[in-house]
Amino acid sequence: MATSAPNMGDANSGPIVEAHTLITQLYDPANQRNPTTINEIQTRLQQLQKGDHAWEIADSLLREQSAHHRFMGALTFTVKINVSGNQIEEVTTWQILERLINHFVTIVNEGEQTMVVRKLASSLVAIFRHTASSWKRALWQLAASLAHGAFVSESESQTVDFLTGVLPTLSTSKATALVFFSIALAEEALRLEAEPQELVGSVIQRVVENIGDAFLLVQYILRQIAYHAAEAGSESLEATLSHEAMGSWKTWLGVYGNHRHSSDKQTQSLVISCGHDIIEALRLPSFSESAASVLTSALETRSWAFDTHSIFTIAQVLSDSIVTKHLLSVTEEDYDNDSMTFIDLLVAYVSLVGFDLFTDPMKPQNSQILAILHNIFKIPGYAAIDESATTRVLEYWGEIAECLLDKLESSDSRYQIVKSQMAEVVLGMFNKLLYPNSSDIVDWSDEERSEFNSYRHEACDYLLSAYPILGIELVSVFQESAVNHLQKLDWRGFEVAMFCLAQLSEAVDENGHADQCLDSIFGSDAFAQLCLGGETGIPLKARQTLVDSFGKYESYFERHSYLLPSVLNILFESLNFESCAQPASRSILTLSKSCSRMLVTELPTFLDRLDQFRTRPTATVSTMPKVLEGISTIIQKLESDEQKVQTLERILGFFVQEAKTAREEAAGSALEIARAHGHLVLSCIASIGKGLRSDGDEVVINLDAVQEQDPYPASFWNSGPGSLVQQLIMEAMRLLIVDFPVDSGIIDSACDILKAGYTESSGLFVFPPSLTVDFIKSFPLGISGTDVIMATASSFLASHASHAMKIREETVQLIAHVSQLFASMLDNPDVYDPETANAGIDFLARLLPKYYPILFSLTEPLPSACGSESQGTPIFALVLKFALQALTRPEPLVLRSGSAFWVAMIDLRGGSPDETVALDQVLEHFVPHLCETLIGQITGRCARSDLTFLNDVLRRLMFKKMVLTRPNLIVALNAFDAQGTDANGNQTPVLTAQDKSRFVESLVVARGGKAQSLEIVRSLWLKCRGMAFDYAQ
Amino acid sequence: MSLCLNRLQEERKQWRRDHPFGFVAKPHRTPQGTLDLKHWECAVPGKKDTLWEGGVFKMDVLFPDEYPTKPPKCKFTPPLFHPNVYPSGTVCLSILNEEEAWRPAITIRQILLGIQDLLNEPNPESPAQADAYNLFKKDRAAYERRVRQVVKENPPM
Repeated sequence: MATSAPNMGDANSGPIVEAHTLITQLYDPANQRNPTTINEIQTRLQQLQKGDHAWEIADSLLREQSAHHRFMGALTFTVKINVSGNQIEEVTTWQILERLINHFVTIVNEGEQTMVVRKLASSLVAIFRHTASSWKRALWQLAASLAHGAFVSESESQTVDFLTGVLPTLSTSKATALVFFSIALAEEALRLEAEPQELVGSVIQRVVENIGDAFLLVQYILRQIAYHAAEAGSESLEATLSHEAMGSWKTWLGVYGNHRHSSDKQTQSLVISCGHDIIEALRLPSFSESAASVLTSALETRSWAFDTHSIFTIAQVLSDSIVTKHLLSVTEEDYDNDSMTFIDLLVAYVSLVGFDLFTDPMKPQNSQILAILHNIFKIPGYAAIDESATTRVLEYWGEIAECLLDKLESSDSRYQIVKSQMAEVVLGMFNKLLYPNSSDIVDWSDEERSEFNSYRHEACDYLLSAYPILGIELVSVFQESAVNHLQKLDWRGFEVAMFCLAQLSEAVDENGHADQCLDSIFGSDAFAQLCLGGETGIPLKARQTLVDSFGKYESYFERHSYLLPSVLNILFESLNFESCAQPASRSILTLSKSCSRMLVTELPTFLDRLDQFRTRPTATVSTMPKVLEGISTIIQKLESDEQKVQTLERILGFFVQEAKTAREEAAGSALEIARAHGHLVLSCIASIGKGLRSDGDEVVINLDAVQEQDPYPASFWNSGPGSLVQQLIMEAMRLLIVDFPVDSGIIDSACDILKAGYTESSGLFVFPPSLTVDFIKSFPLGISGTDVIMATASSFLASHASHAMKIREETVQLIAHVSQLFASMLDNPDVYDPETANAGIDFLARLLPKYYPILFSLTEPLPSACGSESQGTPIFALVLKFALQALTRPEPLVLRSGSAFWVAMIDLRGGSPDETVALDQVLEHFVPHLCETLIGQITGRCARSDLTFLNDVLRRLMFKKMVLTRPNLIVALNAFDAQGTDANGNQTPVLTAQDKSRFVESLVVARGGKAQSLEIVRSLWLKCRGMAFDYAQ
Repeated sequence: MSLCLNRLQEERKQWRRDHPFGFVAKPHRTPQGTLDLKHWECAVPGKKDTLWEGGVFKMDVLFPDEYPTKPPKCKFTPPLFHPNVYPSGTVCLSILNEEEAWRPAITIRQILLGIQDLLNEPNPESPAQADAYNLFKKDRAAYERRVRQVVKENPPM
């Protein structure tokens, strides 16, 4: 039902008076600090704005003296239009439109404030976009009404030509008001683009009919302003109008861009013509900044708004106008955001023209533009902190460098031009990479420091892009710079040069292309002097960059091993400085690993340096293990085991002492300190294990060759002279595990120590199997880190898989231990620990393929089992029962490991016909239970993400045991009788008999195919859960 | 050029123009010095005022030929200690799953910001590694200690 035409307001009626009073109160300074009152006023006002008297209230408010009231009057129109929806018919929209246009004309004539005019322009847009409205040439009609001084109908307005008849009669204020409306209309159209087109498509079409008028308005205003500027030499009065007109061009470009047709040459040419006018406005001081900003945005996203002439004109303006002066002055005067507007324009322009900037011969304006680009590197201050121009310009050069090889042949003369320009960029950017002086950086926030560091790395990205083009010459630039700065002890310059060289290592380290160049630095006397250490005066930042760069040139140093002792000397010295310790330890590790054989003679020195370092505050869990791993890789290269024993005893003796200290700390209740200390000790020992691991090219365990081998043969390390050292490790572990506070970090490191020897045949870290078993058994149910412990147990068994029966006793102990944990959880559900359940089942799933004979030989119950669930149950059956229950658990990891276990179980093939029969019997016993459990879960009970895993069990079961599985699935499905409600509110079964049989038959047809089976399972789950759980919905 | 490469070029352009602070995203450079647009090297910083603040975590983003119809694979290198990161380093996040919330309109910027959010807001419903998940569920103090260590080992460049 349509509402009646809005009547003129009666100022005496209650709601109108109330609205006036509320607005007065809303803006009363006394209420400004009282949010409760303001909130109450706003709530009541909104009720009135949406209520039956809203039209009258809006009319009345717009005739008020105060701008606040008039603003609220305009807002009331918008609110009421928006909430009216289908209560308004077309005829009413025309009445409201007439009322609004009359108000608009009146307030503009009376010199209304901008905020009210804009607000009423929004109300006009609101009526335009109303579904009942059929308003089309809105700009023309509003312009005609403004010209006439009162409402003019749409058809009447079109009797006078828009451009030649209407626009010339508009004053500046009327033209400005018209542009406000024009922009609001375009912005609304852009917003509507994101909404469903079936709802708003017709509104957008009506907006599109205004595109031509909108651009004519822009063109008219810009030409008038240009004309008056040239005539009167004054632009200031028109600055707002000009700014709005340019903004209007930019916004309507968005609308036009979404709907333009190549056949519409007239509008296209109008768009370009407006753009050209804006380019010309760059030359006018009052308008140039607005023009630059609008043009930048258009160049970046709407290049079709420019033709060759426009592009040529922009080049002219950039190279010879007040814009050029702005761009060149950035290096002389204080850099500010205004300058950035012009730099953005410059970068947008050069990005658009791409390689056309590099002409042969070089055009004067292009030369000038390139000179301006290079000049930007001279802007004072730190890039990314004090100015953002350098970053923008480097981004541009990065794009050029990345695309050059695809765009131009190296034989092309323009290629050489680009190349020389790129080289100039390298030289220009050097000073912009200088790390701040300590006096400058002291005031920087962490964020600024981080921002500057990011900038330096991004800048070096340019170097890497430029390397394929500039080649070794690029490295030479920084090599020469590094040598020169080092000789002059100019550490900031040296730091930048080393930083850039470090970044370039990615391109030149492995291939050796720059070796000669690098020799000039690393082989120089000044560098040798620096490496001697002591009082060199090198500041921390330069030291940090230097030590970092060593690690990046590992291949170079491998080829130049004679340099290593001095390099490692400065690296060890750098471990003493907090900010250098991490990169230094990293570089020590990298270089020691890649050059270990060459460093054997230096080992005594390194051990002395280690002795000095290990008690320093910088010897932490982040640094010391890396240093130890590095040194251990060198120890591994010693010729005899006897030599290794001596050095390792020296190192490990210290850690046993440290373990004792940690134990004393724990006894003294300094638990956190003790834990951290213990963690450091064990992670250092684990790193030694990693370092001592045999190389790939040396003798490693051959799983095939050792089939019947003793799992722990007597060796130098367990029963010879090396056993003493092995005892030290076991002693340190004992001190930090037995009766020591449990800590996940300690557990991790202890497991790493155990695992270090699993891939070796003999060695310091090859411990007796009982050590692993005792370690694993020592942890009670429920501790954090069980997953790591059980993963270690799996690795242990995997390392002995080729001679599984030789470690039968240990395997039995491990299975019994896990079964004991399972029994505790089955008997006391309160102590159920998902981590233990997951880790235990995962361990069993992994051992099944190789160790199943041992598992299924455990037909006796656990000796200690006494609960109702576990008592009398054979160990193997207990395991299967627990794994079956896992499939019903809500914890995702338990369900996944349970599924993996059953997949492994179903896939098992016996080693002999008898074994196969026995395994089949066990599996067949569990098929009905599995079917019941799986159907229970996939009929909507499990989480959607569990389906993939449950499906893996189901499809394998179907494939391997179809005859048995099929009837059991039917039985399980028949037991499922959940009810749902249909559209009429009647109770109906969620699954019909037909659904159930179709499900089983589809699975049969899928024959275990993964994707097909999963699709069938998902469909069933969705049917039971409801389609709302479908991702596609 | 294929839809995939076109889109990646555009992503690269947008990223160069504007990217969130502290993040890195750039195509991998081959040994010949050319760029592999389907393999990006990225870095995600830990969010301010969270446990992860101060760390920057490197990640490979691998785009399939069907991108953007199919999502990229995001893989922390080295694998990260986090409940929703698989032991291989692959991130488990709904917006990266074709069957869940992936949409072709999702940008690299949104992906990396989503991963940054995930760091401090793990999704316990969708665990990807037992190590971090169990510690997160069971021993929050130890989990936090471990995260702090991870942050220390992944300082900003």
